[in-house]
Amino acid sequence: MKRILVVEDEQHLAEGLRFNLEQEGYEVEVVDNGESALELLVGERRVPFDIVVLDVMLPGKNGFEVVAQMRLAGQYVPTLILTARGHSQDVLTGFESGADDYLTKPFELEILIARIRGILRRGEWLRRDVPKNEAPPELADSFTFGDKTVYFDLLELRVGEQIFPLTLMEMNVLRYLISRAGKPVSRGEMLEEVWGLREDTDTRALDNFIVRLRKYIEDDPGKPRHLLAVRGVGYRFIAFPQKQTE
Amino acid sequence: MTGSGRRKSIVFFISLGAGLILVALLLYLGWVVLDWRDGIRLFFGILLLAVIIAGVTLNTIFLVREIRRNEQHDAFINAVTHELKTPIASIRLYTETLQTRAVDEAKRKEFYRIILQDSDRLLSTIEQILRTGRIGANSRPPNISPLNLPDLVSECVSRACVLHNIPNEAIRYQSRQPVRILGDLDEVRAAVSNLLDNAVKYSGSNVQVLVETAPVDDKYVSVRVTDNGPGIPETELKRIFKRFYRMSGPLATRVKGTGLGLFIVRSVARRHGGRAWAESAGPGKGSTFILQFPLEK
Repeated sequence: MKRILVVEDEQHLAEGLRFNLEQEGYEVEVVDNGESALELLVGERRVPFDIVVLDVMLPGKNGFEVVAQMRLAGQYVPTLILTARGHSQDVLTGFESGADDYLTKPFELEILIARIRGILRRGEWLRRDVPKNEAPPELADSFTFGDKTVYFDLLELRVGEQIFPLTLMEMNVLRYLISRAGKPVSRGEMLEEVWGLREDTDTRALDNFIVRLRKYIEDDPGKPRHLLAVRGVGYRFIAFPQKQTE
Repeated sequence: MTGSGRRKSIVFFISLGAGLILVALLLYLGWVVLDWRDGIRLFFGILLLAVIIAGVTLNTIFLVREIRRNEQHDAFINAVTHELKTPIASIRLYTETLQTRAVDEAKRKEFYRIILQDSDRLLSTIEQILRTGRIGANSRPPNISPLNLPDLVSECVSRACVLHNIPNEAIRYQSRQPVRILGDLDEVRAAVSNLLDNAVKYSGSNVQVLVETAPVDDKYVSVRVTDNGPGIPETELKRIFKRFYRMSGPLATRVKGTGLGLFIVRSVARRHGGRAWAESAGPGKGSTFILQFPLEK
């Protein structure tokens, strides 16, 4: 059974949505604020969902912030924004924050259900498509610096004999930094290039990625030599740091 | 995004103003150095300089104020959009559900109840907006008649309990000795109801509201509404009565509203020759709203 997470703080709407989606044969979970939604989607004990229906004007974190943080944390579950805000600027903000679809309130029940079905169907088709596209394994694309080698396609980092598996997003961040080796890269640039998100998205999650990457590629993560912070800008990757002469 | 854009434009206008004043001062100093011997010209110089500086300062103040007002207006439009569209969305959703699905009797009754509640909510938002127009500047004077305040307050209390679906004990009302005032029934009822609605809305799940009516002296009677809600910082105590003003911060954004409620309370109090204000021991310590009306003589 497909699982739907409804994030809606207006109790009447939330219960009406639950009733109708359950009648359609979906399993529905309702939360009334963005923080609990993030807890379920990207928290320690994350729960799998097939689609998220997300309100914008929520208490605390608003829907745009929620979807942007989900995406930053590597949660790519299809997300439909359902909100009273219908200005084109709001719609654009929604998509730029990482939403897949946008529907304004008041909405037609049938249209909402059709859109949810469409999104879920797209997911099914993509899954069915995967085996066909699987190319024969090629020689892995790699980059070596010091005693470390990054195998981009295998999502692996080898340090001497040790192998660290990286997540797709960790690898994408690392790949981007390596491609710009030596040059300072701003946080906004990384958000745009790696995640395809708006530049002014909250950048704390990005800093967490850097902390994790440092654990893998730095001998002493407290004193980084490859992945340096550039004050007021962002980060810089240096493949071959010069020996410090003191 | 737009918020930071506006802040930037405020900073721009303030620095433009400051820059212009600086230029005027420099020009004036040059003038003094060149003409320090000539008394009349010096006098006119000083006068002109004062006029220029006053003009620039005023201009800057008005610009900044205008930008702030615009900002509040946008926030108000957003809030009203939400307050109007949400109940409509809900009414629509339930009507469509009843129309297209087989719903059992119990559910059907519940859905009807929800639809009614949402239409009430819609109506009260619309009334709030219309009332703001009616009590605003150059409007009709209130329709004055003698009112028994305790009766009116207890009527508002029971209405609030029904509206917010809370037990009757949640709002306690004491001191029912008859007190009569001269007032507009509809307006006074709206003002008291707004205070009660706020007290309930900001209390969250644990609603404990105390309402009192008591004569203050031989001229005034006060309605006090005390809640155990999040409280109000001292700097906000006055501002919250402004039109469209809504407190920022996580606690306040959990509660939805148009920013008109307390404005109406204060306006009604003033139109009746009374006043309204708030007291709070600080964040986390609840707050008390006081509404004073002149007694009937």
